[in-house]
Amino acid sequence: MKSISIFLSSVSVAAALIAAPAIAQTAKPIRIGVPTSMQLQVGRDTQDAIKMAIDDINAKGGVLGRKLEMVVADETENPETGISAIKKLTADEKVDVLIGGYTSGVTLAQLPHISAAKTIYLGVGAASPSITAKVKQDYDNYKYIFRVGPIHAGHQARQVTNFISGFVKGELGIGKIAIVGESAKWVQDLVPLLKKGATEAGADVRLTEFFDTQTSDFSPLLAKVKDSGAQYLVVILSHASSDIFAKQWHDARFPIPYGGIDVKSMDGDFCERVGGKSISELAANFAVRAPLTPKTIPFFDEFAKRTKRSPVYTAFGANDSVYIYAEAVQRAKSTDANAVIKELEKTSYVGIPGVIEFDEMHDVKPGGKGPNFLFVQWQDKCQRQVVYPKAQRTAEYITPAWIKK
Amino acid sequence: MLEILIHGAVSSAIYAMLAVGFTLIFGVARILNLAHGSFYALGAYGAYFFTSHLKLPLFPAALLAIAVVALFGIFVEKVLVRPMRSSQLAVLMITLAVALVVEQVLFLTFGSEYRNVPAFVDAKFTIGGVDVGGQRLLALGASVTLIALLWLFIQRTRLGSAILAVSQDPQAANYMGIPSDRIFTIVMGLSAALAAAAGILAGPFLTVQPTMWLLPIVKAFAIVIVGGLGSIPGSILAALMLGYAETIVGYLISTSWTEIVSVLATLLMLVIRPAGIFGKRAAF
Repeated sequence: MKSISIFLSSVSVAAALIAAPAIAQTAKPIRIGVPTSMQLQVGRDTQDAIKMAIDDINAKGGVLGRKLEMVVADETENPETGISAIKKLTADEKVDVLIGGYTSGVTLAQLPHISAAKTIYLGVGAASPSITAKVKQDYDNYKYIFRVGPIHAGHQARQVTNFISGFVKGELGIGKIAIVGESAKWVQDLVPLLKKGATEAGADVRLTEFFDTQTSDFSPLLAKVKDSGAQYLVVILSHASSDIFAKQWHDARFPIPYGGIDVKSMDGDFCERVGGKSISELAANFAVRAPLTPKTIPFFDEFAKRTKRSPVYTAFGANDSVYIYAEAVQRAKSTDANAVIKELEKTSYVGIPGVIEFDEMHDVKPGGKGPNFLFVQWQDKCQRQVVYPKAQRTAEYITPAWIKK
Repeated sequence: MLEILIHGAVSSAIYAMLAVGFTLIFGVARILNLAHGSFYALGAYGAYFFTSHLKLPLFPAALLAIAVVALFGIFVEKVLVRPMRSSQLAVLMITLAVALVVEQVLFLTFGSEYRNVPAFVDAKFTIGGVDVGGQRLLALGASVTLIALLWLFIQRTRLGSAILAVSQDPQAANYMGIPSDRIFTIVMGLSAALAAAAGILAGPFLTVQPTMWLLPIVKAFAIVIVGGLGSIPGSILAALMLGYAETIVGYLISTSWTEIVSVLATLLMLVIRPAGIFGKRAAF
């Protein structure tokens, strides 16, 4: 009998010994829901950047002794699917926080559902000012919404105007400009603002022109720009036209330099992809591999090591969001949404594009030490250098090889 | 003015290369091949793949890509189209399916990112004060040469005569001992090769991505409807008209209006003369 009881007690001790760490390990993980466009590069980079941060935090023991875990749902670019993604993540997966987003239309459609689920949402992709405007209009219902990146479209427009007045006019001394953009709603809204801003800054806007997004031959457009007498070409491009534009601008050795908002030129591989033909183009970006903060270069290198890619802009906000949330939970000592929101509002986090702090609308504060709209030039060997704003400048501006200074 | 002349010629040349292949396979085999744009895309992707992944020099890579696409065209004709050739609707459906499958395969293999085909010529040329990229001039020259060779091949060789015979009356040609099935296969291969060449020549100044098949097929369709389905001279004339119309609209009105030109031309032609300029009868 005695031997049996010894045996039983030793078994129970052993079981307890085995079970004890198992219990600690199975302490419910903190679940991060990621609604994003999974098939697009923005979505893929969002996931990879979040995974990077999760692995790092878990390796250091997690948050409040709990591991972090990622659950992804595809929101595509369709509002209906976006809403289903939020419902899946909040109702079925019961995530503690949502980090993601890309298309403003989808995010706007998701907002009421995020608010109903009382789940914190850290936006990393959509730029519409209307998203965070909700927080101010109805704080109690929409306090869950934060935007970590990118800086919103209003700030972006202002910074492009600053670029025209401060850099093109101020530093390059070029007064005659042309503005061309794709026939898309956001571009048509933006161009008149730019024209007004540039004119007020004393620039002479010789031409504003839109082109179809399917345009495959830019020669007529370039000829018009040349005929207008403009000496600098401001572009607003996205989609396929970015690649074609750079190639045809270079192939014709077009005698006018260009720069502006060029969504595809934000990609790390853009210059190589177009065979180096974008060298000297300036494209606005939210972060590049430059010493913007102590985190920027290590992040770019680690991301490239893990994925063999250069990250697109959603990756910066996504990676920062995980740390920002983890720190807020640590400070709040709980994952309770209300407690974490209070801590998130106090955030001052040195992130990848700058110091992340939130304004009263839970929107990331731009300028100063915060994230800026950086005007980045493709330079020799397809390296990216920040040339404007001056505070972040990493290299001097270069002119296209075929234009005499 | 000279700008319109030169740039219009380049656009027309690329369009003609696309449309001639498209109209050829229709004229000979009555195959309305919606996968024609896919041959164009595969040509460009082939050149991209062989140069950037297999590190082949550009010229052999281009020839290899054209050969592979021609073989793929033959495969599509022999295995997929032939069993259903009697029904035009079935042919339309199967070729559309091929186009969509090719798009998805490209998407899964290469991702949604834009890719680049290196240019054969990177220099800039100035003709009468107009700056033109060398690759564009090459595309123009190559297109004129290839179409001229195709023309000579059809008019001057025995095989060419057989193709003409089949296009006029496949049954009678068969009775004369011309194996019409084999002719269809050859023509499909030729048509695919031409489209692939267009993709490789235009790739360096356009862009390479999985949905790139759609616009060329729309343009080719518009051109052959205007020119007359099945008529090679009609396609060349219509390609010139469309290429120049788009360039003129771009120069004189706005680049945002160019893309509507082809659609309007198609609609107008279908209403006014459904057979097209050189077509003998309406195809639909």
